Amino acid sequence: MQTYTPDNLPKDDNINPYAFCVQVVKDFIIRKGKMIAYYGNLRFESVGSNVIDMMISQSFNAPSYGGDYIVATGRGQLILGDRGNHINSYDLEDANMTLRESNLLGFEPTLTCEECVIPGYLTLLGTGKILASSNGMVHFMEPPVRVDPEALLGWADCPTPSYHHDYAYVKDVMSLVATVVGLKTSGEEKQINFSGTGTVLIQSSESNLKGRSDLQSIIAQVSGLHQNDLQALSNNITQRLRND
Amino acid sequence: MPTYSIVNEKLLQIDLASEEVLAKKGAMIAYKGAVNFQGALLSGGRLSEVAMRQVAGEGLKLMKAKGTGEVLYAHHGLLVNLLKLTGERLYIESDYVLAFDARLRSGTEFLGNQGGVGGLVRGAMAGQGLFTTTLEGHGECAVLSSGDMIELTVDPNKPVFVDPQAYVAHKGNLSTSIHTDVSWKTFVGQGSGESFQFKFVGTGSVYIQADER
Repeated sequence: MQTYTPDNLPKDDNINPYAFCVQVVKDFIIRKGKMIAYYGNLRFESVGSNVIDMMISQSFNAPSYGGDYIVATGRGQLILGDRGNHINSYDLEDANMTLRESNLLGFEPTLTCEECVIPGYLTLLGTGKILASSNGMVHFMEPPVRVDPEALLGWADCPTPSYHHDYAYVKDVMSLVATVVGLKTSGEEKQINFSGTGTVLIQSSESNLKGRSDLQSIIAQVSGLHQNDLQALSNNITQRLRND
Repeated sequence: MPTYSIVNEKLLQIDLASEEVLAKKGAMIAYKGAVNFQGALLSGGRLSEVAMRQVAGEGLKLMKAKGTGEVLYAHHGLLVNLLKLTGERLYIESDYVLAFDARLRSGTEFLGNQGGVGGLVRGAMAGQGLFTTTLEGHGECAVLSSGDMIELTVDPNKPVFVDPQAYVAHKGNLSTSIHTDVSWKTFVGQGSGESFQFKFVGTGSVYIQADER
């Protein structure tokens, strides 16, 4: 195990596949709860919470996801980790890249972040560094390619993809019946179709990130609920479990 | 003295020559030779420590392996790290202690002793209770971590701030306190989610893992 001091920490590079050190000079936008340690003088503010990051809000143009991201301001070395998922960095130079929202770990405010037309994805435009986490290593492919929606991490410089439904699946009465009565079909009948030129990023696992933070944040919020609300929530969950 | 070697990142081998080693209960997966296993009542500490641990509910559950042979240890697929202590005191959560031997003395520390009220808050925040396990002496110990463990050095003019959930252990002459970014925004739900951090000041090392529990 390597011992780190502020002087020998990697500069804007991975410490190990699961931890990344960012040299924060002014601002850096990160996903909430992914800071694991830091040296130096840093503060964490929610996006759009004060005058300083009114400027940040220029680069963070995705109001639906505003609550998930925070701004690290100041100077220091910030170490990020995401529950043992792999972390990779990508440098954009006047380009665009789209990533699944839950995998986007952080980016420089020199980039502009906007919501992609496909729900749950964010598009980053401009020049700067992006950090993304993935369950397993990232694999790069070139279109034309069809990807399982679960395994898709994002894409760069491609035309926006479309959904492709397997011909047999659409045509086959049996699978139609199966879908209506709620039976599971092969699970591979819906794919995301890429064409044109660019790069498609795939994570080497079909399941989403390990230790989803959604669940964590839901559990954290439950503590604020009243008796009646808890009862309603419990009924709702019981109903859902029965349906599945 | 027992020799510790890492077989692969998740597997630890300890060679014994009519010696004994203390290890986490249930972590032994195989052994060769004439080795006896028995519950370790004292867990490498004094009788008063056992009483303290009972009261504190600090769950250091250990098993003593004694004899001559090789013992293999692994636990829940967590990574194994070897730490060498040279007289310092290591503060560690009891869940992460895998193995140590008679060269180190274990103890239970009341977190309130270091950092006053801050210490109390610290224990409550990390979900590890108000007591923590200490190991002290000259020798090696095996420590578990989920995700690679990172050692961060602290010197008097370079304090380090750590997320409570990523914290594993620390050693040396460090004082801990809670660092807060709390403002009115925290209470109206506009907080940054990183409002509480452990601040370590002094001389020593802090161990963290990339996997927040």
